[in-house]
Amino acid sequence: MKRFFLSVICLTLGGIALAQNATLPQNITLKALDGSSVQTSAIQNDGKPIIVNFWATWCKPCNRELNTIKELYPEWQEETGVKIVAISIDDARSASRVKPHVDGNGWEYEVYIDQNQDFKRAMNVVNPPHTFVINGKGEIVWQHASYVEGDEEELIEVVRKVAAESEK
Amino acid sequence: MTNIRKTIPVLALMMLATPAAMAQGIMGGHVTGNIQIDGQISHADSLIGASDVPERLLTNSRADILYTNGNFSAGLRFETYLNPMLGFNARYQGMGVPNFFASYQNDLISVTAGNFYEQFGSGMILRAYEDRYLGLDNSLRGLNVALRPFPGVTIKALTGVQRIYWNYNTQGLVRGVDGEVNLNSIITPMAESKFRMTLGAGFVSKYEPDEFISSPEPGYKLNLPLNVGAGAVRMDMNYGNWSLQAEYAHKGQDPSVMNNYIYREGEALMLNAVYSMKGFSANLQAKRVDNMCFKSARNESGEMLYINYIPAITKQHTYAFLNMYPYATQTTGEMGLQGDVMYKIKKGTLLGGKYGTDIHINGAVITGLDTTTIGGAGTDGYTSSWFKTGDLYYTDLSIEVAKKLSSALKLTCTYGYQIFNPIVEGHHGDLHHNHVAVADLTWKINKKNVLRFEAEWMGSDSKYNPDVDDKRCGDWIMGLVEYNFSSAWFISLSDQYSYHDGNKANYYNVSLGYNHGATRLQLGYGKQREGLLCIGGVCRQVPASNGLTFSLTTSF
Repeated sequence: MKRFFLSVICLTLGGIALAQNATLPQNITLKALDGSSVQTSAIQNDGKPIIVNFWATWCKPCNRELNTIKELYPEWQEETGVKIVAISIDDARSASRVKPHVDGNGWEYEVYIDQNQDFKRAMNVVNPPHTFVINGKGEIVWQHASYVEGDEEELIEVVRKVAAESEK
Repeated sequence: MTNIRKTIPVLALMMLATPAAMAQGIMGGHVTGNIQIDGQISHADSLIGASDVPERLLTNSRADILYTNGNFSAGLRFETYLNPMLGFNARYQGMGVPNFFASYQNDLISVTAGNFYEQFGSGMILRAYEDRYLGLDNSLRGLNVALRPFPGVTIKALTGVQRIYWNYNTQGLVRGVDGEVNLNSIITPMAESKFRMTLGAGFVSKYEPDEFISSPEPGYKLNLPLNVGAGAVRMDMNYGNWSLQAEYAHKGQDPSVMNNYIYREGEALMLNAVYSMKGFSANLQAKRVDNMCFKSARNESGEMLYINYIPAITKQHTYAFLNMYPYATQTTGEMGLQGDVMYKIKKGTLLGGKYGTDIHINGAVITGLDTTTIGGAGTDGYTSSWFKTGDLYYTDLSIEVAKKLSSALKLTCTYGYQIFNPIVEGHHGDLHHNHVAVADLTWKINKKNVLRFEAEWMGSDSKYNPDVDDKRCGDWIMGLVEYNFSSAWFISLSDQYSYHDGNKANYYNVSLGYNHGATRLQLGYGKQREGLLCIGGVCRQVPASNGLTFSLTTSF
């Protein structure tokens, strides 16, 4: 047991850098807002960066984050070509609210529903919001759990770097 | 199990020692995972209902380790409950590796052997899922196959047994098939149509060996069905701004402790209509549930071994007082209606101001069924009217107005009204009528410093009665201040107090947290009511406690 907890601590400290080359899982089924099924392999952006954000209709910080980014998104797109893919982890209880919620808030993101939470598990998301940045090769290069006002500044900094690297 | 326990630390140390090798992965694959450790040191407090903890320290922890290599993935979960935290079932006491799986997925097929989570449609006949904060894990252990022979067509088949705490209910077999077709993908002329349609159907069967359940008629035993089937059909239709989802489920005779061993068949209907456009949406939901409790063990009365899931259609609130009396689905029978409207008043208008104003209105009414009793165990139980409603269970109305006042200030005001019938929690009593008001102000001082204030009030006609000991009764006030700095640290102070007609309990709380990347550490001291708690950017379910709590989560 001692050894286990020691490793846990090591892992925590060693953390994120280790799995840098992990890529987005390809064959997990998500639902589009029109009820059809979509594979995660469809999450593409022509070699430009992608932000994958896990959220839920009932999660206040998620809504604050996506509403804040909404205002900045056109500029972000123009500057870096980034695409935002918002993955709702709403379950059977609230999944039917996702489409009205997205439209009501006027979000222009690509939105999918991960009702069975297969994608959430594959990406090791514990609590929403959890944000990932994917580079042009489909590799997960950055992730961040939770949101407070101002976090979006760090996010776009990372996206800028990734966009600059993929242009090289 | 010993081997697995030894493997994890070795694997972990390898990862730490060889970051360069890791970038290439292990044998071309990648190891990822997440770890969560929660603990509490809680002292008895009879006023808030916190019980004594003889072992002083309680911890729950888990680690999911996932290996992926191309289309192949495998994973295991290590869990410890030493001893289970307050609010978790004592049967979790212990540690081990309760869940593991191996999976192969490509465009055509997904196969999982071991533990899996699955859902047919909205889950009314099958939903194997977990909720770590509720201590629920209904995962199936067995074989799960999904085929996608053509674009737009998915066929699923599964067989397995359900997890119950540290064991598996090997007596109760769960088998199921499900098919779904997206008409726009298979009918060429419909490919570009504005009319989108998906149809689906599923069937689930459970088997349990015979057992002795005595009949109310002396000298007889109940003739139990060994196989119980449940089927469901569903559709999802979209046309322009409109969409409509419908699902109907039917279950065969399934006498169990949950329905007092009656032989009435079960059914459930769920309808959801949506009209939405940018800046406006409205949806209306209706449901009727009759005797739809479906478990893989007849005699399991607790929260485990549910094969299906009947969602509550009331709004899932996040503010403390709106969430004080949450509604729980009555799988034995209920009818409900729910409406939701979101509207954004445009920028530059009189009410919209410089930044626009968001309005969100939600209302729900849930009632019991109008039933006529036939008899007890061994009979059909009762008959029910399809359209007549029974007793009022729950009413919920909330109006939320959110407005950005300046580039630094954002204010959200919410008013809520709820009628709550204690029968949904299993006891008789007067209806509670509650008014709730919430003001939530966020002040972004600069890029690195954010303050948030929250004030809540609840006025209720319920009075605290020591015999019933419902600590939620009475009128409440609450205040919260949260300070986030350097995008990494947060500290929050809050207090909830039942100032009138309540038991005068003070729920104060101090919380300190640190976020870095996907790692989060939180320390708290104070008294906590059970409920959904959202602080510093994350929402989670917490049990009632009095003392110190800590939580560490990380993903890698």
